[in-house]
Amino acid sequence: MPPLDAIIAAVRTVLRDTGRDARTIAPEMLLAADLGLDSLDLAQTIVLLERSLGVDPFRAAAATPRPTIRTVSDLVSIYTTALATPPSP
Amino acid sequence: MTTAANATTIAHLADAPAEDRLASAIALVARQFPDRTAIVANAGGEARRVIDYATLAAAITKLEGELAAARPVGIVARAKRVESLVVIAAACGREHVPVAFLAEDARDLVGELRDWVPLDDSLTLPAGAAAGPRREFETVPPQVVVATSGTSGPPKLVDHSWDSLLAAARLAEQWHGRGWLLVYDATRWAGLQVWLQALLTAGRLVVPASRDPDLVAKACVDEEVSILPATPTLLRRLIASGDRAAVSTMKLDRITLGGEAADAQLLQQARELFPNAKITHVYATTELGEVFRVTDGEAGFPVEWLGRPLPGGVRISTRRDGELLVQLSRDTAEVATGDLVERRGKRFEFTGRRSDVIVVGGAKVFPKRVEEILRGVPGIADARVYGLPSAITGELVAAEIVIHEPLPSGTTPDQVRSAALAVCRERLEAHGVPRVVDVVKKLTLTAAGKIPRR
Repeated sequence: MPPLDAIIAAVRTVLRDTGRDARTIAPEMLLAADLGLDSLDLAQTIVLLERSLGVDPFRAAAATPRPTIRTVSDLVSIYTTALATPPSP
Repeated sequence: MTTAANATTIAHLADAPAEDRLASAIALVARQFPDRTAIVANAGGEARRVIDYATLAAAITKLEGELAAARPVGIVARAKRVESLVVIAAACGREHVPVAFLAEDARDLVGELRDWVPLDDSLTLPAGAAAGPRREFETVPPQVVVATSGTSGPPKLVDHSWDSLLAAARLAEQWHGRGWLLVYDATRWAGLQVWLQALLTAGRLVVPASRDPDLVAKACVDEEVSILPATPTLLRRLIASGDRAAVSTMKLDRITLGGEAADAQLLQQARELFPNAKITHVYATTELGEVFRVTDGEAGFPVEWLGRPLPGGVRISTRRDGELLVQLSRDTAEVATGDLVERRGKRFEFTGRRSDVIVVGGAKVFPKRVEEILRGVPGIADARVYGLPSAITGELVAAEIVIHEPLPSGTTPDQVRSAALAVCRERLEAHGVPRVVDVVKKLTLTAAGKIPRR
């Protein structure tokens, strides 16, 4: 599944699971301001994405500074990069 | 009644040295009633085996002879069959040879038992096992080494004396000659307790072929089990998922719960299903052995138990944060148990183990509480709540749910899942609501039959 589709599906699940409306989700949307995601929602999204995409770019990120995640696109680029990088042994 | 005759004679064995008691009890029953069934292995399965007391006694005598000749430093029980474990324990006790029981996940610890001789189902000492340095056991109490379950940290070996091992194995005569269910791993503390008690009371040990709830329920009925020792998790699984007809025909007289806290919900279900059963909840740890038992069928323990000596001289108290502290006797130090309790009315109820607490963004979540809420949702038969690591919040609450089968027509598992989330949102703070909820056929359990929290 392309990262954007997976991310939209995951965010939709998070909104539905928490009893909120899953409206249109677009790349330029702000995760917090537009979609209303808080840190718990983001944590859930990442777990769901690990299941659908098979990677968790945030797990290994302890050593590297955490990238800014403001929009859906930010997430897409993080996951695109992670998927392109071969897993470290 | 043959049972009564046995019971009286067996009661006298309580005066025998603890390490002799198992072998003596088996020999005694074997003399009076050689054909009486001691063990039903693989009950409910294709390869059901029945072992009578005479067979067991003969195997013990034979191994005693080998041990007396070889005098090994110690024996590591490597046998897979329950009857072999019984024979090894009885013969080692009688011959004052230390014996170790290592569960599957503790096999690596065998290195700590240098020069000890492994013994498998052949019950024959390997050639060359003879003559370690001949040890004098008069001064050292014969010991039994058991590995901890590793629920709270990696497994480790703990030394027990036969006295401490058998401390709980005294049962009134009315419980002699009964059918006992063994759902625990026979090499662990809880499992050892069950088969020791069964065979020290001329009972019949029933070992089901698997932990499948349908099979266990059927084995209980077919083999006339009347005493059921289990973890609350295993009992819940039996009640929630076992074959209805079989569960309702089970004739239990005694249910002994241990290994985990039993909640009010489960105790009530058990009382309704088995109105004639005496329900006991044992609080024990591998390190301390049995600390106390609650027999009134209610969750937790009475408030007034705090700060006054309990049977056996045990004293319990709590730390400020609710952790239960235990002092076994005046001469021993107070031990922090890692179990958290909370006062609810006239009871202290267990809220979970300290290490079970899930920390979500700095806030604590007690998984047991979340499980109780989930189990109260219509359509949910059972639930497990655990912590998932998260780079964002430290941990995240996750759950597995087992759906009642069959569901009322028109209801889907997905609807039950959504309803469960809605109930959790209503009754828990945001960080306590499970964020990952999987519908599963059966819950993930530890080898000891408990709920893993990570």
